Amino acid sequence: MTETARMSGPAGTSGSGRLGALLRRPEAGALLGTVGMLVFFTIFGGLGFLTVASTASWMNVAAGLGIIAIPIGLLMIAGELDISVGSMVPAGSMTVAIISGHYGLPIWLGIPAALLLGVVVGLVNGILVVRTAVPSFIVTLGTLFSVAGLVLGFSVLITGTTSVAITAPDLAKAIFGSFYIQGQFQVLILWWLLATCAYIYFLHYSRYGNWVFAMGGDKVSARNAGIPTERLTIVLFVLSATSAAFVGMCQAILFNSAQVSGGQSYIFNSIIAVVVGGVLLTGGFGSVIGIFLGTVTFAVVNQGIYYTSFDRNWSSLIIGVMLLLAVLMNNTFRKMALNYTPRKGNR
Amino acid sequence: MTFARKLLQAASALALTATAAVSADIAVVGGKADDLFWNKIKKGMDDACLAVVANGGKCTYLQLQTYDNLGADAAQLVRTAIAQGANGIVVPNWVPEAEDPAIKEAIAKGIKVILINAGNGDKARELGAINYVGTDEYQAGLAAGEYFAAKGVKNIICINTVPGAANLEARCKGVADGAAKAGSVSNQLPLPASSFGDPTAVAEAIKATLLKDTTIDGAITISAGDADSAATGIEQAGLTGKVMLGSFDFNQTGLDRIKAGTQGFAVDQQPYLQSNLGVTLLASHIDFGNLLPTFPVLTGPGIVDSTNIDATLNGVAAGAR
Amino acid sequence: MSAPILALRGVSKSFGPIDVLHDITLEVRAGEVLCLLGDNGAGKSTLIKILSGVHQPTSGTIEMDGRTVTFDTPRAAADRGIATVHQFGGTFPLMSIGRSFFVGAEPTKRWGPLRIYDRRTANEIAVKAVRDFGITRIDDGDRLVGGLSGGERQALAIARALHFGARVLILDEPTAALGVKQATHVLRIVNEAKRRGLAVIFITHQVMHAMSVGDHFTVLIRGAVAADFRKGEKTREEITDLMAGGASMASLEAEIEGYMASHEGHPPPPHA
Repeated sequence: MTETARMSGPAGTSGSGRLGALLRRPEAGALLGTVGMLVFFTIFGGLGFLTVASTASWMNVAAGLGIIAIPIGLLMIAGELDISVGSMVPAGSMTVAIISGHYGLPIWLGIPAALLLGVVVGLVNGILVVRTAVPSFIVTLGTLFSVAGLVLGFSVLITGTTSVAITAPDLAKAIFGSFYIQGQFQVLILWWLLATCAYIYFLHYSRYGNWVFAMGGDKVSARNAGIPTERLTIVLFVLSATSAAFVGMCQAILFNSAQVSGGQSYIFNSIIAVVVGGVLLTGGFGSVIGIFLGTVTFAVVNQGIYYTSFDRNWSSLIIGVMLLLAVLMNNTFRKMALNYTPRKGNR
Repeated sequence: MTFARKLLQAASALALTATAAVSADIAVVGGKADDLFWNKIKKGMDDACLAVVANGGKCTYLQLQTYDNLGADAAQLVRTAIAQGANGIVVPNWVPEAEDPAIKEAIAKGIKVILINAGNGDKARELGAINYVGTDEYQAGLAAGEYFAAKGVKNIICINTVPGAANLEARCKGVADGAAKAGSVSNQLPLPASSFGDPTAVAEAIKATLLKDTTIDGAITISAGDADSAATGIEQAGLTGKVMLGSFDFNQTGLDRIKAGTQGFAVDQQPYLQSNLGVTLLASHIDFGNLLPTFPVLTGPGIVDSTNIDATLNGVAAGAR
Repeated sequence: MSAPILALRGVSKSFGPIDVLHDITLEVRAGEVLCLLGDNGAGKSTLIKILSGVHQPTSGTIEMDGRTVTFDTPRAAADRGIATVHQFGGTFPLMSIGRSFFVGAEPTKRWGPLRIYDRRTANEIAVKAVRDFGITRIDDGDRLVGGLSGGERQALAIARALHFGARVLILDEPTAALGVKQATHVLRIVNEAKRRGLAVIFITHQVMHAMSVGDHFTVLIRGAVAADFRKGEKTREEITDLMAGGASMASLEAEIEGYMASHEGHPPPPHA
């Protein structure tokens, strides 16, 4: 299966060979970024950074973020944006907590309800974006606030509080919110890896992936080429909102509680992960592996700080500089890919 | 309300002033009552007002619609209270620069004012308010630090997910000073904005910090939600029972932890008392001329731990804690 | 002479009160290049949009193979074998040659229980199709379209159109943004398309380019056909004069203005 090892993008075996081909792939910058950050924190974080606990540390953070970042990345490749995930995470948490915590109904009712809410909000986002000419940033900004308001309003109306406790049964905990391998690794990591594989198939191996790229390249031409751009756009929005609700739901089960606030950091963190992962902000270019690596880079930088002896007050600065470096690296590699010509002297 | 009605009301208020003993007409300015915290403030007020009404007075709750423009909106609510003819105002001094002129205006008109929740005794004196009922963030921190130290905790981290916010910095400074009194130390752990609202990121940051510095045996979070994350972080580090967890404010899950013994304590500012005492003190001053010599009146810090968890849980069920 | 594949019969187009095209009649046959000449604002782009189904004519008819047709959408025009290639060729610069070639019609193969995009087949077909047009420099279907030269992109787009059964090729200013060498390249490709029996509508304002490949010439001025002639009937200078609306055009212009005046306040009936 040599096919499986390769993805779309400028991967050629001819010309300057394997290494050159690797460097021109969308995830080349992201890969170097990830490796660079791991080396950086191994040096400055000492051996503590290589322990099981610290590996679990960044993987746990990456898992939740990654599940949201990939569909966000697909949307960005398709030329759209979804920032409503910021309130879909708490919405997912609160839905399952209210249904199964406050009312004490079975968790197997609360979980699908949380996901269903994601589907509904995704449909609203997608249909609004497709039917109106309003940019998706504005549409999802609207749903971001609307959903946050709905969650707060209903939470107080129903429970009288903004924080609801939930005790999930063992089976639900085992599947959605517990720790494995020395009690360190969240089960969410497994979901993240599964989702990544599924998205790799979707974007790089199924024909629908080609449609996503084409939509991001030029929506009108894509439609003229017979791609159901509207339906695909709606599907992508449903994916992102549902993924966010899923992550929120898992958090509630893991932490035994749900809060109305919070989750807003997922907006920027997911966009950062996606861009660090080599996706072009203007769409049409990127890869799932890249987003995966971007998420890892972000999580490593975010958590690696705690293994170093740097003053904690500089955390944000270090995160900012690291991410800028990663993005600059991406731009360099993308230019390389675009300027690549197999033979010289023929221009 | 029409102008004519306003005029009539003002006239009748004047007439009352001239003829009979004044009944308290108290306006309480507060946050949205659909907010967990302000809901308790509202309940405290409602309970106190039973006595006010029994003495022929009345209470009004003037709530903010949003928190986007806190200072200006609160000042506007104070002016609304003045316009509605209140003779007593209970108001949090959230943004002194914006609210002080309106409060001074009220006091100049002979309206009695009590500051609650936000502010301090010095501020109350400066403005001419009759008292301040509430907590002092620094005092709350101090109590937490002392509690840790009394339980033999030597090295405490104060986890601040919103570094730079003055009230939260004051809490952490209080913890440090309180701990220092008994020879313990406390350092602040400021978390970057990129982890705010992501419980996993907060939990992992706490876990990493505990693993990096094994001398840490106490942790306190600036909010109830963060304590949920901290509990997981401590558990992940395999230090449950070895690292004492405390929190400022609490939620149901936190109280459950205190009951189960996996969290040491929570510092409560007891919001119910703030409005309840505020209204009671103000009404008894207006109606009967009573004046409390205690100044300021602190409603917190109230420590919730295994010794009083059951009573606290009852209070929560009644919506008063 | 064979029957025309595509013909416009008395096509007019107005947007509200503004008349853009007036009574355009033209035809194009298989293996023939029709050059549509005109200065900026002559109505060339509106004409392309009508031919490619973006706009519908206000009056007049479009015929294919002698039968009246209507193109409600660009898709409908494409389904009938009308392919439009724009100035910059590939519209997906960040996609690989193979992928952009097959957008919307991706070849797939079985892979276990799944159907996956057949990258190898796509690349092979795309590269071969382009190389058949003499672009031998392209040998890797994974290269990004954005990394190709302007001429190569045109070749790719034309090859794509041909592969998907285009019978009529509309080239919108394919040489406008190119240097001399690249332009020559594109013109060679146009000749190759013609040789393969396509009907080509070549839109340009560069007379030299038009003369080197054209069989039939139509000059548009202010939305009307100002001249219609075959290869060899006019010299380069005459055509340039025509396009520029020089002194020799005075009478024609008067004629056109007269036409416009006669339509003032009487817009043509809406398209049925």
